[in-house]
Amino acid sequence: MDSVLRAAAMYLALMVLFKIAGRRSLAELTTFDFVLLMMISEATQQALLGDDFSLTNSMLVIVTLIAIDVGLSLLKQRSGWISRLIDGEPTILVENGKLLHQRMRHARLVEADIMEAARSSQGIEKLEEIKFAIIERNGKISVIPREN
Amino acid sequence: MSDDAEHPDLHSRKYPVREDMAYQLNVWRFERCGWYLLVLLVVLGLLGMFSRGLLSTRDIRSEDGRVRVQYEMFHRNGSTNSMKISVSGAPESTVELELAGEMMEGFSIETLQPEPARARSSAQGIRLWVQTDTQGQANLFITLRGDGLGLFHSRIVLPGSKDVKLTQFIFP
Repeated sequence: MDSVLRAAAMYLALMVLFKIAGRRSLAELTTFDFVLLMMISEATQQALLGDDFSLTNSMLVIVTLIAIDVGLSLLKQRSGWISRLIDGEPTILVENGKLLHQRMRHARLVEADIMEAARSSQGIEKLEEIKFAIIERNGKISVIPREN
Repeated sequence: MSDDAEHPDLHSRKYPVREDMAYQLNVWRFERCGWYLLVLLVVLGLLGMFSRGLLSTRDIRSEDGRVRVQYEMFHRNGSTNSMKISVSGAPESTVELELAGEMMEGFSIETLQPEPARARSSAQGIRLWVQTDTQGQANLFITLRGDGLGLFHSRIVLPGSKDVKLTQFIFP
């Protein structure tokens, strides 16, 4: 019983923590983000398995995690409200070449983040060439160039 | 954050994506409050709210001073912490000591040093007889592993002396 509760509690706790961390936290992996991810998984693994390293326990934990994940995706499919709660919504950050500073401040982003995404995805050099930059639900910034 | 909600930057757009900025502002507010909560948890962790620290370490004595217990108030399930019980009695004799209450339900004793002269179970816990030194002092070092969850009230009983009451909490 405790394996299932452990896995469910950890799933919920990590979900809330990554909601607090925001969309950008692990979307664009830097070298250090990768190290951080490994440290988090190491800490999580201990709490998930406890001192029981049996095959049954690890299978029970994995089954619980996948069951919750599939269950949540089914819920998201049925209810737009739950989908919005879990995945969030896309937000526009640049509109017709102008930064929406208030939104950038709340999303904890700077111009360099937008320009990085613009360069790598569209080969854009200047902010004025961007029609829209949107931070997607998965934390990636998508850029739509202006047509001239 | 609510004062700038009227700012034109924060009005909902319909193209190229349909936005609900009121909801998004709530999400950002949640992120900000969550950040304060994380900082609070880190500070509490440093202070010992989750075992081993200023808030957790306790040092109590019985009214007559014959029993002194140093222990951790907060434990974590599966982790071990030490407890030191010091008693005084007649020199070069044995002193009877009882670990009573809920201690045995919430914890398992991993080590008990030095080995008591005699030990047996009692109605409320376990009873130990420890050897005192030439000054009449005896120390008992115990390693406790938290097995339960929640609050546990226990007592250290020395016959002829008032009980020392311990309260311990085990985090999941």
